[in-house]
Amino acid sequence: MSDACYVYPDAPATPGRVTPDVLFRRGIYMNGSMSFDDGKSVTIWGFTDLAAGQGQDDGMGGGSFPSPAIRVTEGQIVHTELTVGMMWMHTIHHHGIEPSEENDGVGHFSWDVTNGTYTYQWRPSSAGTYFYHCHTNTPLHAEMGMYGGLIVDPKPDPNDPAGTRRAFANGPIYDVEAIWAADEIDPAWHNLPWYAGTCGGDVGLNNLNPKYFIISGVDGASSALTHPGVAVDMTLGQTLLARYICAGFHPQKIDFGGLTVDVVASDGRPLPAVWQTQAIEAHSAERYDCIIKPTTTGTWTVTVQFLHWRTGAVMGTARTRINVT
Amino acid sequence: MERRGFLKAGTAGFASLMTGTGLLSWSTRSEAATISKTFYITAGTQTMPDGVSIYVKGFSDSSADLNIPATPIICQEGDTLEITVINRLAVTHNFVIGGLKAGDAPLASTGDIAGGGSKTITYTIPTGKAGSYLFYDNKTNYNVFLGLHGGLAIMPAGKTNQMYSGSPTFKKQTFWIFNDIDPALNKAVQDGTAIPTSFTPRYFTINGLTSLPPGAPGHGDPTRDALFDTRSQLAGYLGDRTLVRMLNAGMCTHSMHVHANHMEWLTDRGSVRPQVWKKDTIQVRNKLGKIDAIYPFEAPPDAYPPVTTGHFPMHLHDEMSQTAGGGMYQFGAMTEIVFK
Ligand SMILES: [Cu+2]
Ligand SMILES: [Cu+2]
Repeated sequence: MSDACYVYPDAPATPGRVTPDVLFRRGIYMNGSMSFDDGKSVTIWGFTDLAAGQGQDDGMGGGSFPSPAIRVTEGQIVHTELTVGMMWMHTIHHHGIEPSEENDGVGHFSWDVTNGTYTYQWRPSSAGTYFYHCHTNTPLHAEMGMYGGLIVDPKPDPNDPAGTRRAFANGPIYDVEAIWAADEIDPAWHNLPWYAGTCGGDVGLNNLNPKYFIISGVDGASSALTHPGVAVDMTLGQTLLARYICAGFHPQKIDFGGLTVDVVASDGRPLPAVWQTQAIEAHSAERYDCIIKPTTTGTWTVTVQFLHWRTGAVMGTARTRINVT
Repeated sequence: MERRGFLKAGTAGFASLMTGTGLLSWSTRSEAATISKTFYITAGTQTMPDGVSIYVKGFSDSSADLNIPATPIICQEGDTLEITVINRLAVTHNFVIGGLKAGDAPLASTGDIAGGGSKTITYTIPTGKAGSYLFYDNKTNYNVFLGLHGGLAIMPAGKTNQMYSGSPTFKKQTFWIFNDIDPALNKAVQDGTAIPTSFTPRYFTINGLTSLPPGAPGHGDPTRDALFDTRSQLAGYLGDRTLVRMLNAGMCTHSMHVHANHMEWLTDRGSVRPQVWKKDTIQVRNKLGKIDAIYPFEAPPDAYPPVTTGHFPMHLHDEMSQTAGGGMYQFGAMTEIVFK
C-alpha cells in the first residue's frame, strides 16, 4: 500500500443511510483469468457476489468476467456494498447513475475503499443500460476487467400482462435480451500491480495496444459467435433488446450484419425519436439500446470493429450472431 | 533556433489568462461591431506533471506571454473580425479559422506569416455562421498539436442565451479545448530534426492544463490545475445551464464523460443534431472534431437522500488520457464540476 500515491483510502459510514429496497454485496478478485481462442490467457480482476458465496474479501481468488450484473428497478433505493481487504484499493462507480458525491465512487472526489466496507446508496431515476466499474487507477483497473452490467428496469406497467418486459416506461416491449459489452485487451497491461504508475514512472498506461477483442468476457475471434451468453437465439416474431456497452477505451463501430435496428435509448435515457440504423459508432462508456425485430428466419453476424484512437485504423474485430428460427 | 528567449508557460505566461471570470462573458448588442485582436506567436516550455519540460508554441496576448490555448474570442453574426497575428518566431506560421462544419472551407486565413512578420485578416461574419470554431495554425499538420490553437464563439445576432436560432437556452458558456502531447514531436520541432512519422501521446490537456489531484504540488491553483482552472471548471447553482463548446485540437479521438448530470447534446462537428439527446458520454473526434452540449445543473437525479451540492469530475473515458508520462493516473484531461 505504501507503493501507491494519490489514493484516498477510507471506508466511512454512508451519509443518510436508510434500509434499502435491494442490496448487492460485492467483494473483489485479483487473480482471475480469461482464456482466448488462441489458447493464451491473461490475468483478470473483478468484483464478486459475496451474497452468492463468491470470493473472499481477501481478493485472492478468481471470479466471473464481466463481474456479476446489478439489476434494479427504477425508484428502488439501492445499496451496493463494496468490501476490500487491506492489500488493495478499489471503488464502484455506477457509470451513468448520478448519485451524491459520496456515493459516486470516484477515488479523489470521495475515497478509495480499503480495509473495510463502503455502502454506495443510490436510487435510479431512469430505466436503461448502464455499467459499473472501478474508479481507482481507472485505466488499469477497468482494463483488467473490473466492470459489470448495470440494468435499470422500469416499474412494471399495471396495464401490461404479468412478465411483460419494457426497455423503459412506455417504451418498447421485448422478449429476448442481449448484453454486449465490447472491450479490447492488451496483454502487456495485465501483469501490473494495482497501484502501477500512481507514484510516477512510465508503466505504459498512455498506450493501449490491444491484441484481443471480446464481447461480454468472451473472445470475439470465434467463441462469441456461438457462446450461449453472447450469441442470441430467438424465434421469428420475437423482439430482441440488444444492450450495447462500449466497455473499451478505443472507439468502436458495431454493425448488425445487414439488420436495421431501432435505437431507442442511449446512456440510460430514451431518445426523443427512434433512430434507425445498421451500424453505430461509439466510444468508451457509451451505451445504445437497440430493438431488433427480424422479419425472416436466418443468421446475422454482428461485428464490432475496434478503431485506434489516433489513427482510426481497425485494430481488430469481435463478432457474435443473431440466430432466428 | 527560435528568435527569442524561451518563455515559461504555467507561470507568468498563463497569468494573463486568469483575469476575468474564466468563462466567456457575453452581452448582446443591437449593432454589429469590429472585434480587434492581436495575437503574438510565441514559444517556450511547459512543465508536465512528471517534471518533463516540453517545447510549446502559442497564439499569445503579448510577446511576453505564452497562452495555450489562445485567449478565446466571442462575437456575433454581422461583426467584423480584425485579427492581427505577429510572428515572433523565426519560422513561417499561419492563422486559420476553421470552417463551421466538417469539410467546410476555412472562414478566414492569414496565409503564410514569415518569421518576424505579421498579417491581418478582416472578416465580416455573415448570418448563418453562429457556432463554435477552432482557430489554429495549419502551416504544418502538427503545429496545432504544439499549442497553436484557440476557440472562437460566434453568437447568433441579438441572442445571449442560444447558440443557434431555436437552440435550448443556457446561462453561461465556456470552451473545453483538448490536446494530446507527444514530447517526441515537440522535441523534433525544437531541435529542427525530422518529424516523427507516428505519434504516441504521453500528456493530455484540457485548456492547456492537466488535472492535479489532492496532494499534488499545485493542486487547487487555478493557473496550474485543470480541476480549478476557471476556464474549465463548471461551477454553478441549480439551473445554471452552461454551454460547453468542446474543441479537439489533439491527435486522438476522445470520449468526454460527465458525472452528476447528463448533458444535452446539440451539435457534432458544427452540424446541429436532428434531436437533442441526453448523454453522459459524447465522442469528440480528432482531426479537429467539435461538440456543443449543455450541462444543465439539475439536482443529481439518482441521489438518495436528494442533494443539490457536491463535487464531481468531467473526465475523458478513454482512460489513457487520464495519465501523464505513462502513469500518474488523475494527471490528465479532467476538470471539476461544482454544484454550489
Ligand atoms: Cu479497482
Ligand atoms: Cu465510467
